[in-house]
Amino acid sequence: MVNKKMMAILFASGTDNKLSELTIHRTAASLPFCGRYRLIDFILSSLVNSGVNRVGIITKNNYQSLMDHIRMGRDWDLNRKNSGIAVFPPFVLNTARDMYRGKIEALYTVLDYIEKSPEDYVVISDCNIVANIDFNKVLDEHIAREANVTILCHSNYATTSKRMMVSCNSEGLVTDLNFAEMPTAEKKIVSTNIYVVTKKYLIEEIEKAYSRALFDFEKDILFQSYKDGKIFVHQLEGFTAIIDDIKNYFNENMKILEEPIREQLFDVTRKVYTKVKDSVPTLYGPKSEVVNSLVADGCVIEGRVENSILFRNVHIAKGASVKNCIVMESGQVLEGSRLSYIITDKEVVITEGRELAGFKTYPLVIAKNKTV
Amino acid sequence: MSTKKECVALLLAGGQGTRLGVLTQKVAKPAVPFGGKYRIIDFTLSNTINSDIDTIGVLTQYQPFELNQYIGNGQPWDLDRLDGGAFVLPPYVTAKSGEWYKGTANAIYQNIDFVDRYDADYVLILSGDHIYKMDYNKMLQAHKQKGADCTIAVLEVPLSEASRFGILNTDADGKIYEFEEKPKNPKSTKASMGIYIFNWKKLKEYLIADEANKNSSNDFGKNIIPNMLNANEKMYTYDFEGYWKDVGTIYSLWEANMDLLDGESGLGLDDSRWKIYSRNEAEPPHYVGTRATISNAIVSEGCEVDGKIINSIISRGSRVEAGAEIYDSILMPNTVVKKGTVIRHSIVGWNAKIGENVQIGTDQSKVKEKEIAVVGPFKNIKDKSVIKAGEMV
Repeated sequence: MVNKKMMAILFASGTDNKLSELTIHRTAASLPFCGRYRLIDFILSSLVNSGVNRVGIITKNNYQSLMDHIRMGRDWDLNRKNSGIAVFPPFVLNTARDMYRGKIEALYTVLDYIEKSPEDYVVISDCNIVANIDFNKVLDEHIAREANVTILCHSNYATTSKRMMVSCNSEGLVTDLNFAEMPTAEKKIVSTNIYVVTKKYLIEEIEKAYSRALFDFEKDILFQSYKDGKIFVHQLEGFTAIIDDIKNYFNENMKILEEPIREQLFDVTRKVYTKVKDSVPTLYGPKSEVVNSLVADGCVIEGRVENSILFRNVHIAKGASVKNCIVMESGQVLEGSRLSYIITDKEVVITEGRELAGFKTYPLVIAKNKTV
Repeated sequence: MSTKKECVALLLAGGQGTRLGVLTQKVAKPAVPFGGKYRIIDFTLSNTINSDIDTIGVLTQYQPFELNQYIGNGQPWDLDRLDGGAFVLPPYVTAKSGEWYKGTANAIYQNIDFVDRYDADYVLILSGDHIYKMDYNKMLQAHKQKGADCTIAVLEVPLSEASRFGILNTDADGKIYEFEEKPKNPKSTKASMGIYIFNWKKLKEYLIADEANKNSSNDFGKNIIPNMLNANEKMYTYDFEGYWKDVGTIYSLWEANMDLLDGESGLGLDDSRWKIYSRNEAEPPHYVGTRATISNAIVSEGCEVDGKIINSIISRGSRVEAGAEIYDSILMPNTVVKKGTVIRHSIVGWNAKIGENVQIGTDQSKVKEKEIAVVGPFKNIKDKSVIKAGEMV
């Protein structure tokens, strides 16, 4: 008997990204986003809010910050007795010294875990997607279409990052798949690298592909089998962002300053959960001036903040000014300093009287723990 | 049998809190919101765990549901323990009898089995309606050092205010020889904070004797402490220095909130070594709009602020529209204030909705004891309403 339940496998680090300085100390999954979150919070919360409570996370490099964030999964209500979070190290088999090459190998290493789980459908996803997704809707559609794979897509411009472009007919049936790395003038149907897959199909395909030494899930499985007519598209309607370079990291953060986007992403009935840090509420000094900004708890604001995002425990001193900036946790901008189009990583200190400016299309990053 | 615990804490949260009026109509006083994202009880719960005491019973009886749900398994305070942790202890019916907690002493008497279960040497008795940070472990060390039967935490108060408190008269060593409840002519300025440590064996004897006395009001201040003094038990004061406030009245609740805006008040909420924990509501960072003015204020997560906020506390999930003005006031969680409305010297209860062009509170720059206006939780205030200073709706 088939049950209508999903489990999930998440890939903590995308295959390639251009986040440079921001991911030296962490995986893309634990990249801070929107004042108090890490990127993985969005997919984890979407899953939990859709009743998915068995989540395996496959790690790759730099996963210590991710482990510290996730712990036992309690903040997502995933510290379950019979399901919950499982974190897998990146090594292929006990005998292997190398990390996995591609999703097929990685999935092969956790095939046992997938097989033994009672759920009949598997959500496979990267962790660099910011969206609030109802997977139950996707699954209902997947079942009604008798699909093997449903690719979650959004309508977007192609960028210089490698993205899978999808063509489909009016029924949503995939008619062509290809990778593009060239910016386009018009919006396309772009894969978010989130899939809902029928478990039986997944296990068969992974075993088949692994035995032939194939390792690219998209190229070696999806590209080969869409012609069988069992791969469909599900278009995501709400705010959906894939974070894979500094520029879109900056732009997508700034979009959250728009009220309709905030309402979509932080739907009160489908909350976004994150690690609780028990910061105090933010204190505004007598001379503070704050305009069009998102401010997390624990900040002390005595200066000027405009079109910016402040993470937890940030201090903006008297006479300091921060405009079009992202200041991550425990950042300090001291007296008289002026920043514009700057992203400061965690625990950056801008000492007195400094002036730093990036440009709209080229925000500058100050690396973690640095003092300017 | 559970593992032995040296010290077990019991938190008295059973008072009706009638002086907080509409705020405690549906919830127990310790569950009333405080300081933007906390509840009053968070302070004692956090103090307890920060003092390395991991077993605490919360004694409730009026409107316990909210408090029950809030405390849950104690996880936000790291009190979800395999052995010990946080327990909500309402009065219950036994084979012989079943009754409400008649007084503070009776509440402890009814939970003798709870303390015995952990074979505790000492019990720490706390109140659920005080705002302060205190290391109870230091007090316990002092208690042990003195070889005391009972230690009472005291605060130096100005002589002019001493007659509002329970005053302890001691010798130079801190040994108590007299307790006077609200004395007309106070002999000392050491005010009881309602925080006691007892040797459990000793207290148990007094509780059993007190229960047998039909004329007793079963109260710590009125019966247990005087009885122990009369019997010459070794009772000492423990001097507490720092911020402490009883938030049992509307004015003191308002004042204590306002103290958070004053860096000099001494509470020092933002101390990573002594965090105050609370149950988290998973809300995004707050958003400050293009027309907002915020000066000397606290704003918490999930708020959307586009109005004018001066000397005020805006608690989590609240919404202040452009053109609304809030002065010297507290908005409790999830309130909505529409445009054109002016709120001064007020407390707005959680989930209240204030319409357009409403006037709430006095427009005097200084406010007196009875002049705080209060809007009850979940109240809808119609457009153009006027709520005067001191009014409670």
